[in-house]
Amino acid sequence: MSADKERLDRAIIAMRVARELPAGSCVNLGIGIPTLVSMFVDDESVVFYHSESGVLNCGPLAEEGEEDIDLINAGGQFLQSVPGMAYFSSVDAFAMIRGGHVDVTVLGAHQVSANGDLANWMLPERGVGNIGGAMDLAAGADKVIVAMEHNDRSGNSKVVQECDFPLTGRGCVSLVVTDVAVMEPTPDGMVLREAAPGWTPAEVQEVTDARLIIPDNVAEYEV
Amino acid sequence: MTLERLDALSVARRAAAEIIPGSVVAVSGDWSIAVADLVREDKGVWFLRAGGTLSDLPINAADAGAILRGGNVDLSIVQAAQVDSRGSFAGYHATDYPGPQGHAGLIDLAGARRVVTVLPHNGADRAPNILDTLTLPPDGFRCVDTIITDVAVFRVADTGLTLTEVAPGWSAEDIRAITGTEVTVAPGLREMDFTVPPGKPPSKVYADGPSAIADLPDGATVFIDGFGGPGGMAHHLLVSLRDRGSRNLTIVSNTAGIARVVSFGTPPGRTAIDHSVLVENGQVAKAIASFPVSPSVSRPSEFELAYRRGEVDLELVPQGTLAERLRAGGAGIEAFYTPTGAGTLIAEGKESRVIDGREYILEHGLRADFALIRAHRADTRGNLVYRGTSRNFNAVMAPGARVTVVEVDQIVQPGELDPEAVVTPGIFVQRIVRRPDGFTGYE
Repeated sequence: MSADKERLDRAIIAMRVARELPAGSCVNLGIGIPTLVSMFVDDESVVFYHSESGVLNCGPLAEEGEEDIDLINAGGQFLQSVPGMAYFSSVDAFAMIRGGHVDVTVLGAHQVSANGDLANWMLPERGVGNIGGAMDLAAGADKVIVAMEHNDRSGNSKVVQECDFPLTGRGCVSLVVTDVAVMEPTPDGMVLREAAPGWTPAEVQEVTDARLIIPDNVAEYEV
Repeated sequence: MTLERLDALSVARRAAAEIIPGSVVAVSGDWSIAVADLVREDKGVWFLRAGGTLSDLPINAADAGAILRGGNVDLSIVQAAQVDSRGSFAGYHATDYPGPQGHAGLIDLAGARRVVTVLPHNGADRAPNILDTLTLPPDGFRCVDTIITDVAVFRVADTGLTLTEVAPGWSAEDIRAITGTEVTVAPGLREMDFTVPPGKPPSKVYADGPSAIADLPDGATVFIDGFGGPGGMAHHLLVSLRDRGSRNLTIVSNTAGIARVVSFGTPPGRTAIDHSVLVENGQVAKAIASFPVSPSVSRPSEFELAYRRGEVDLELVPQGTLAERLRAGGAGIEAFYTPTGAGTLIAEGKESRVIDGREYILEHGLRADFALIRAHRADTRGNLVYRGTSRNFNAVMAPGARVTVVEVDQIVQPGELDPEAVVTPGIFVQRIVRRPDGFTGYE
């Protein structure tokens, strides 16, 4: 049964997403798998990382013992001070996001729907949640990539025909990268672009709630 | 014999007497700008000039407009071409600067708490400049409260003009004869005086946190800075507010206190100080926040526990919308349309509008009674410099509160901060406290 098939690990998801970041682009990485993406972007491509904590061109995390409480990313992790950084206020941080100056954001999600609706801020059973910068990123970034596990811990598909969790944004997701597949939400529905090694399109569909549109040329997951 | 009219310098000296020590004064037009040179530096007055300076700080046009609209200017002294009997004015424009652009800055100047105009009483052809009705396009509508001319001083009320002072040698009848509207003469009519009174501003530096927030009332709305971790959070002021015990507070902040449940480098055995100290003390009635609860369901914050018990209200706001609402409140913008949150729960009950095919929702500016913020260094005038990512919400919160209290590592004398590096101009800061030696963000 496909639910038990071997899946890619989180680092491979991050590695696949890294291929989507154009050289010289401005990128905002969310918490979780998205944070790992920067490990797989080579220095040559000069990606500018933006963090809504108020810093541009942020680099690697601080070494132990070198932490500075006045130098954090949006996930609250301590950053190294690197050449070329710029600090700014929260108003400027979000002017960059809503104003179309952030080219790509990579976010985690609870659910993504076939037409690109995103739900990632509240689990209904908790009754309260954190929006943080997610709604602004969903509304403002040129390209929203979701990086997540394909199914939750109970096995429910997070790639759904329609979201039933509270939405972060409508029709905003342009690419979904999971431990099983790479998919593209379109107005017509979720198109399967790549399947993980060893997975057939039919097996991907078996673990997916959304009805997948399966073209003839589904590629093997490229990393 | 022809009565002598005052020169521009004497008019400026009379106008300078209207200025209170430590206040923020916007000036426009040559007669008005001359006023700034007559006020001694130790009077601590901030002069906002149309060219883009706030005393010695360079500022851009957008910030200058925000300062004017945001209610931060105590007094505008505007050179007018005409004033009417109800206090509307047409600004003076140099002849080589015609057209509507010349009006833009003056219209914002009319938004100050108090507007004083300076002008020649009559034009070159002896036609009166003080009239029943303006013949030039107005720049300010019924906003002038005092008119200072080269022969007299008038106070403006809904009922018309009252003559309170005359230039040496002039009588009330002389003034009436050259004025284009009806004039009431004040019972205590005086001769104009040209001494510029000295004075010093009250100090902004407070001994400690408790004295700086001693008047923070129950029911107040309080901006609390910080992003989430210990950086950029005014821990000493937070503890001071807990000890003061003000209740029924509405707090506006990025989080509602998560540093205690997320380690953020907290030393073992210590507890991070955050909003939780207020929540567990029963002081918070409501939070307006973007990241109000712990990222981990299994480690709920004090706020989340109180929320589940129904003891506190929550207004959840996307982070960029929170930042912009704070900015708008401090800049005199009542509301704005943003695409963020359109089509989500956040949009429920809000006005929405499709502009150029995209949906936007209407969000309102936020203002507060107090802001408790953190910066790295302040000078005694309140100019602030931040450190690293700890600038984030601090700089945004300072303009929108009636009383902004800042906790800093170091207080220096004016001149020791590079004006090019100042992020928050001192007009947005009312009180300054130095973080006590040895104080940490942990208990």
